[in-house]
Amino acid sequence: MGRVLSSIGTLLFVGLALFLLTRAGSGSPARIVLGIDATAQQIAEFDHQHGLDRPVLEQYAVWITDLAHGDFGRSFVTGRDVAGEIVEALPITLAIVLLAFAIAVVFGLAIGVRAALHPGGMFERLTRLGTVAGLSIPAFWLGILLIRFVAVGLRWLPPGGYAPLSAGWGAHLQTTLMPAVSLSIYYIAVLARMTQASLADTLDSDYVRTARALGLARPRIVAYALINALPPVINLAALSFGYMFGWALIIEQVFNVPGLSRALMNAISQRDFMLLQGIVFLFTLIFTAANLCADLINRYLDPRQRAAA
Amino acid sequence: MTRLRGWIRQIGASGVIGAAMVAVMLFAAIAAPLIAPYNPLAIDILGRLEPPNLAHWLGTDEAGRDVLSRIIFGARASLMVGIGAVVIGALLGVSGGLVAAYAGRLAEQLIMRLVDGVASIPLLVWAIAIVGILGVGPVQVGPLLLPNEVKVLALVGCLFSPVFARVTYAVAKVVVAADYVKARRLQGAGHWAIITTDVLPNCLSPIIVQATLLVAIGIVIEASVSFVGLGVQPPQASWGTMLSDARNAIFSGEWWLPVFPGLAISLTVIGFNLFGDAVRDLFDPRSVTRTVIA
Repeated sequence: MGRVLSSIGTLLFVGLALFLLTRAGSGSPARIVLGIDATAQQIAEFDHQHGLDRPVLEQYAVWITDLAHGDFGRSFVTGRDVAGEIVEALPITLAIVLLAFAIAVVFGLAIGVRAALHPGGMFERLTRLGTVAGLSIPAFWLGILLIRFVAVGLRWLPPGGYAPLSAGWGAHLQTTLMPAVSLSIYYIAVLARMTQASLADTLDSDYVRTARALGLARPRIVAYALINALPPVINLAALSFGYMFGWALIIEQVFNVPGLSRALMNAISQRDFMLLQGIVFLFTLIFTAANLCADLINRYLDPRQRAAA
Repeated sequence: MTRLRGWIRQIGASGVIGAAMVAVMLFAAIAAPLIAPYNPLAIDILGRLEPPNLAHWLGTDEAGRDVLSRIIFGARASLMVGIGAVVIGALLGVSGGLVAAYAGRLAEQLIMRLVDGVASIPLLVWAIAIVGILGVGPVQVGPLLLPNEVKVLALVGCLFSPVFARVTYAVAKVVVAADYVKARRLQGAGHWAIITTDVLPNCLSPIIVQATLLVAIGIVIEASVSFVGLGVQPPQASWGTMLSDARNAIFSGEWWLPVFPGLAISLTVIGFNLFGDAVRDLFDPRSVTRTVIA
């Protein structure tokens, strides 16, 4: 409970930093909306209408209270509801991130387990090379290469865009597969390494040796060891989920996907501060929640930490 | 010489390969004007989109600029942001961690809460948003006019600092409580003496490991931010902007434009990762997995 409260406190604090930063940007929103010809009186009127003439802290309090009620405010520039824009774009980003997360977890675990079970083998050596490559190849470059060689070269998949689930699973997967694969490579490497290290460590432990000495079947031993090796992997997977959203911004640009990335870039180019701070706060919220989950899962899975909490 | 050989044996083949890759890229960045065959900004409309040939080893881009020369000059921005961000992060984090470990409960609470707060910021999103708010113009610092990527450098540096603060804080807490340090204090050693002779040397190896791995992340972040147009500004050469320009070439078949800048990023980052992993295995063989991800 204390951990949840402190996360909320952190979020309020970080939200304030974000709010102040967007306010520190060049020029009042009134100038941007009303144009250069606006008179001082018009600007004052605009500011008064939108509550911009009140103290910054008061504005923040209003914004954050509305946020807690699911109201992200209204854009000064387009007049549109920020929550509405987010509801439109978030599912697209979420679809890519979830698919990437699933790919990363499945392949990361499979590769890590296999490498840990055959130490010193060819597969382990390949895994070591492969994970260094996976950690080092920028996701957006991989995306560009996939478009160049898989979409344009082989014509297997469309080079970009997005088809919602309502257009059918096939079309949906065709547009989300390459972005998700590009996004997942880094996390496959991260999770494979952690799985391998943790499982190898567990297989090396005294109780596994005892189990072996008692004559337990190997699959059972591996299953037990895996259960005990998983907590750090799950923890890292939860953290990865938070990080993936950030990189999804770049990947969406590569594949021209109309997700949160496009909304954020539009907000930046139109100086739409309400939309911008809404989206950035959403990302921060997701990231903090992922961190919190990682922490709570750790505590739940590790009785020593549960006792300490 | 024997020391060098012993060090090479300890750090292993992959560590040496990583160090060599990093050294090559550092050399390219520093000596760029001397080794680049052409001016990276020189436009040659008649020689545009040439595939790799003897005159242009990696071909030319849509403005006829030499790709190899642009990659060599691009190493400057990448390494400057990657290394600069880590230096800023280390300075902020190490001093913060030291103060937190030393200066009583209130400062400790304040600083470590602040560290938690900064650590809960999704780095890439904020870097994009803040540069977006501030705009992509150059920054005037006194008499110096600094390019836009300095903003990325400073931001990423601040957001890297919690890693260093936590490492330093953890080590300093343990060292300060150790018997030999108590003994030194009883002998009259001051805080500063204990920090410089006991605390910092003990933090050094984890700091070096984190720093090397974070440079790798910093380079990818610089390339990504430049790719979306908020980092290095054209016409200056950077690997991220070269890849952004190359998006037009994806459909028209000039394969060398999207391939080579990405290779440059990947090889540099592989170098830092190999070296960082090897150094970590050397200092702390038990921790097989990395603690920093992005």
